[in-house]
Amino acid sequence: MTRARRRSLRQVLTRLSSRHILHAYFFIAPVILLFGIFRVVPSIQTLLYSFYKVELLRNRFTFIGLENFSDLFADEIFRGAALNTLKYVLTIVPISAFLGLVLAVMFNTKFHLKEFFKAVYFSPMVTSTVAAAMVWWWMYNPQFGIFNVLLKLVGLPSQPWLMSSRMALPSIIIFSIWKNLGYNMIIYLAGLQAIPPQFYEAATIDGAGGLSRFRHITIPLLAPTTTFILIYNSISAFQVFDQVFVLTSGGPANSTNVVVLDLYRQAFQRFNFGYAAAEAMVLFLFIMGVTILQYVYSKRFEVAY
Amino acid sequence: MNFRADEEGIRNGKDSRPRSQCFGHRHERRIPVRPTNVLVMTLALLLIIPSLGLAAASKATITLWYPGGDITAGVNDFVDPNLWAEFEAKNNVKVEAVALDYDTMKQKMFAAAAAKNIGDILFVDDTFVAAFVKEGLLDPMEDSKAKAWLAAVMPEIKLRSEYGKGKMWGYPQYGGDTYALTWNKEHFKEAGLDPDKPPKTWAEFREYAKKLTKRDAQGVISRVGYAFRHVGAASGIVHKHFWALEGAGARLVVPPDALRGGKSAFNNEGGKAALQLILDMIDVDKSTSLSFPDPRAAFLKGIASMQYSELVSIKARQPKEAPDLNWGFGPPPVRKPGDVPVTLFGGFIFVVPKDAQHKALAWKALEWLNSPEKDYELCKKNEATPRYRANWEKEPFKSTPYFQTLKALYPGAVVFPINLGSDGVVEAVGAAIQKAWHHEASVEAALAEAERLANKAIAEAAK
Repeated sequence: MTRARRRSLRQVLTRLSSRHILHAYFFIAPVILLFGIFRVVPSIQTLLYSFYKVELLRNRFTFIGLENFSDLFADEIFRGAALNTLKYVLTIVPISAFLGLVLAVMFNTKFHLKEFFKAVYFSPMVTSTVAAAMVWWWMYNPQFGIFNVLLKLVGLPSQPWLMSSRMALPSIIIFSIWKNLGYNMIIYLAGLQAIPPQFYEAATIDGAGGLSRFRHITIPLLAPTTTFILIYNSISAFQVFDQVFVLTSGGPANSTNVVVLDLYRQAFQRFNFGYAAAEAMVLFLFIMGVTILQYVYSKRFEVAY
Repeated sequence: MNFRADEEGIRNGKDSRPRSQCFGHRHERRIPVRPTNVLVMTLALLLIIPSLGLAAASKATITLWYPGGDITAGVNDFVDPNLWAEFEAKNNVKVEAVALDYDTMKQKMFAAAAAKNIGDILFVDDTFVAAFVKEGLLDPMEDSKAKAWLAAVMPEIKLRSEYGKGKMWGYPQYGGDTYALTWNKEHFKEAGLDPDKPPKTWAEFREYAKKLTKRDAQGVISRVGYAFRHVGAASGIVHKHFWALEGAGARLVVPPDALRGGKSAFNNEGGKAALQLILDMIDVDKSTSLSFPDPRAAFLKGIASMQYSELVSIKARQPKEAPDLNWGFGPPPVRKPGDVPVTLFGGFIFVVPKDAQHKALAWKALEWLNSPEKDYELCKKNEATPRYRANWEKEPFKSTPYFQTLKALYPGAVVFPINLGSDGVVEAVGAAIQKAWHHEASVEAALAEAERLANKAIAEAAK
């Protein structure tokens, strides 16, 4: 290395150091390293596995091209799981966003014991999904569960809930809405509180009623928050697993089988790692596509006053 | 002694002391023997010496992985510290039993094998063996030992032990898991039925179930005549309906001893009849319902009068969960008079992974545990059925009614197919059963779909 080059490198390093940029990289290095090891590397490995027949214990990897993907699309169990996942997402995302907004609007006003009720609605969010699902499994029990006890009290017939292939998926959706409601409420509340009150004052002076103010001020100015909630909830809903595994294990009759559960079974019960990797890649591409679409489409609804 | 003055004298060359003294003074090194150093050195020695001693006399530790909880129904009491005492003393080893959760143990074992860090002995469900063999996880038993075992045990145990042409992958547990029909004798008396005579045919079975069913004031079933499994893992659903499927002539895989290849044979008249039986009990007789959970739990809670499942499980759970339950057990009903009652004969098996650290010791331990003497001792202690023919000639097995009733079930004993694709077959059949009983599909359509999926699984596993 020539003297001039050494001098310039030293100058660059000194500048970086003086701006603490090197220090910043040093501090974030452990996170980047861990992210790389536990997220990036397994993702790349999954992509590679999806093109192979993987026999881990025999240490044998046979390249089969797109065979895993073609088997996947021909597999009726996978198609059923994909349909169930789509039904789940299309139901839970709008409902939990809507209910979250309703609660946030209510909590944006002052009333007695507001903080207590806010904590009550948020508490499912901080509970372990598995633990909560175990409790709900008992609540759904056709013989001893509290839901059927309450139905009987009001003179309605008992329901099979998780034991019925028609009711099992809606039962899981109800649980998931209960679980996520608090999070959406808090995010919307933050969005509501960021709206400057002058807009409402000006609208009131101009004679706008409550509904009109909600429609023309609140909803448009909450568009970025709504976008975030829809994207976040969609990504999370596409990856649903815990509650399905605990409540129904995908049954009865595969009526609650979802993509991630099917992937889990293929990988860890049938040891078809290549096939499971293909499922994971398809899910990843689908989620990415939906997220991009939502993001692009939602831009048109954002306003600035 | 004034060191400083002496030092100066030495440097200046003016010290008049003899040279030896000068050297002694100059090069005198005093290692400060502080109390802290003494303490540290003593502690270090105290730690090092015993570990050297331990290393010299250390025992090999064989780990045995088994499913904890009720799943093995107490037949194999791995928490008993005396179970391996004699073997440990003779061979200077320690056997450490490690409990795993049954629902996740298959994948944990696989992951451990992939990491080359698996237990030396695995106590697993029979149904795991096909998948483990397919992945090359297991070490086969020596041919000579397998031959000796197969020659000495009961024919039904031979059926469970052999994986084609005299090959064995492990020792089936003592006290094989025999499935049987169990019934509540008090319910039978209430309904005017003989409490010691279970239904013999499907027609009788339907009649009994109708008489035993109870309803509340609103007409909702509060007690079913027969509780059946229709949710949860596919293998559980298929196991609990095996008696009707195989009894009516349906076969999960033919030939049943084919490790690779073969085809499914349950989409036939027998398979349809087996599924239609329960469907008619739900829709026509209304003597059972989809609203009842696990049949064993329902039976023990007294909200089911009959059920069919692992006998050892009921025997282990009844004293704790239903101490007052007066119950009977026997073979399941047959489709028509003259048929032989078919019962599933399965359970757990001791296997040794290929990558076990102490493979030879593990096999030695299993040979010892499964010797004729230990078989007799443990079966007598745990009221379990022995595997060796010779042990059936000894008391209490020879004349106790309980054991003789169990033995009477053996002629109809059928084991699960050993095919490498059997996991996929079971999933397909389990889903078909659920779809038919949940009215998601007709029996014909459900079985046709299951046949397609099952044959696909068999073909894929054969590659």
